[in-house]
Amino acid sequence: MKYMIMMFGSQRDYDMLTGKDTDKPAWSAGDVAKLHEFMESWNRALVESGEFVDAQGLSAPVHARRIELKDGVPVVTDGPYAETQEVLAGYTIVECDSFDRATEIAARLADTPHPEGASLGRDWYVDVRPVVGSAAELDV
Amino acid sequence: MADAEVEDLLRRLAPRVLGALVRRYGHFDTAEDAVQEALLAATTQWPTEGVPTNPMGWLLTVASRRLTDLLRSEQARQRREDTVAKWTLPTDRIAPPADSPAAPSDDTLILLFLCCHPALSPASQIALTLRAVGGLTTAEIARAFLVPESTMTRRISRAKQSIKSSGVGFRMPPPAEVPERLAAVLHVLYLIFNEGYATTSGPTLYRVELSTEAIRLARLVHALLPDDPEVTGLLALMLLTDARRPARTGPDGALIPMAEQDRTLWNKAYIAEGVALLSEALPRGAPGPYQLQAAIAALHDEAPTPEDTDWPQIVALYEVLRQTSDNPVVSLNHAVAVAMADGAPAGLALLAELETDPRLADDHRLHAVRAHLLEMTGALTDARAAYQAAARLTHSLPQQRYLHTRAARLPDPG
Repeated sequence: MKYMIMMFGSQRDYDMLTGKDTDKPAWSAGDVAKLHEFMESWNRALVESGEFVDAQGLSAPVHARRIELKDGVPVVTDGPYAETQEVLAGYTIVECDSFDRATEIAARLADTPHPEGASLGRDWYVDVRPVVGSAAELDV
Repeated sequence: MADAEVEDLLRRLAPRVLGALVRRYGHFDTAEDAVQEALLAATTQWPTEGVPTNPMGWLLTVASRRLTDLLRSEQARQRREDTVAKWTLPTDRIAPPADSPAAPSDDTLILLFLCCHPALSPASQIALTLRAVGGLTTAEIARAFLVPESTMTRRISRAKQSIKSSGVGFRMPPPAEVPERLAAVLHVLYLIFNEGYATTSGPTLYRVELSTEAIRLARLVHALLPDDPEVTGLLALMLLTDARRPARTGPDGALIPMAEQDRTLWNKAYIAEGVALLSEALPRGAPGPYQLQAAIAALHDEAPTPEDTDWPQIVALYEVLRQTSDNPVVSLNHAVAVAMADGAPAGLALLAELETDPRLADDHRLHAVRAHLLEMTGALTDARAAYQAAARLTHSLPQQRYLHTRAARLPDPG
């Protein structure tokens, strides 16, 4: 069955990672390299176990466009999110035996390295959600 | 790498970086600023720190980061003012597209179509083309057009605002519109060339960089559309005209008419290239106005002496050209050619008809031509008055000097 592991971030989190000065300390290039190394090994383990399906990262929220109907007319809004609003930043789809296994995979991300003293200013989290299409594979 | 080489490389990469950025993120107006800043960063860093192994990737990364920053401050300001940027999706972008998506290789062409959008004034089209496609800075463009930088900044930002509010997407115009839009692009390049070649105001006769830039951009369009005969014709026209530049002014900066130019100074490489391009374009059907003008320029360039000029052939070409456009300057040049082929009185008779055209009555060129033809017939007093009238009407100082010198050679009736 397929599960989507979703990672969230605000524009401010993106800033920390790109070394931009915010009210929080910026990450150094070395910090970011460690993070990438960790994510790569997490990913590689999934590829090796045959559970990896797809993974994508999304560009900064500032580049988002929202299309909504206003009086029946499609209207586009550039950059619809507030600076601190957490939005989908990336996802990994895994194919594994159970929701519990997917949860276990996602929980390993809690060990994501971060520089001393760096803080998100909130509690860290990722979400795991079953992909609808794969429900048919359930033996019910 | 020398500074000049770095600049050359940056100018070539500029439209590709901008095209890629707008294709990926939209926001033509802001992306254009971001690319300018990336180019500036490269101009200062590359000559000292060395050119990166992937210059295009470097510029894209720096410009993308800058775009993100610019958009954020823009969006933060809009949120503060509660004016979140909303735009209506044009109906043709909700319906399934009739045209196939453009290939990334067309980015530069799309940029040109965007910069020469019919919603913009010619002055804005020129300024935006030089900045977004030519990679020139606002300061350089302002200097070339002899206007204050703040004026040029306003002109460019107004132009970008018009494009933004027109809601035009980053893609090729529908096939049915392409010929008309391409004609607008070619016209803008032609205006840039002319602005450089026959400076309309100011103390110097040439602003070489504008002619050179126009030729560079025409080469770019020719490389993108090698089979379009008018694109080829325009490039040939520029080369065949620019070929005479080294002989067109004396050491003191004074204007030298074609008949008196030292033809050994003409740029033989440009003439050969222009003639080759023209021979390639002409067999492709009824020639358009750029090919016709290039053909006329070629006849001048190929004559070893003024007396060898094939004037009857030039008269014939001007007659075809007059049928394609109602441009009074074409009629004026036609009258000159007739005078050279059939004698000054025949030319003066044609000029008499043109004098009633309000578009030419106050144009110095009409009076200058009349002066030359009167001088040829021996009506020296009338010629002197006509030279003086022409000098009063032109804004170009070198032209004024030339016309006054001609007048001073003739007897003063006073």
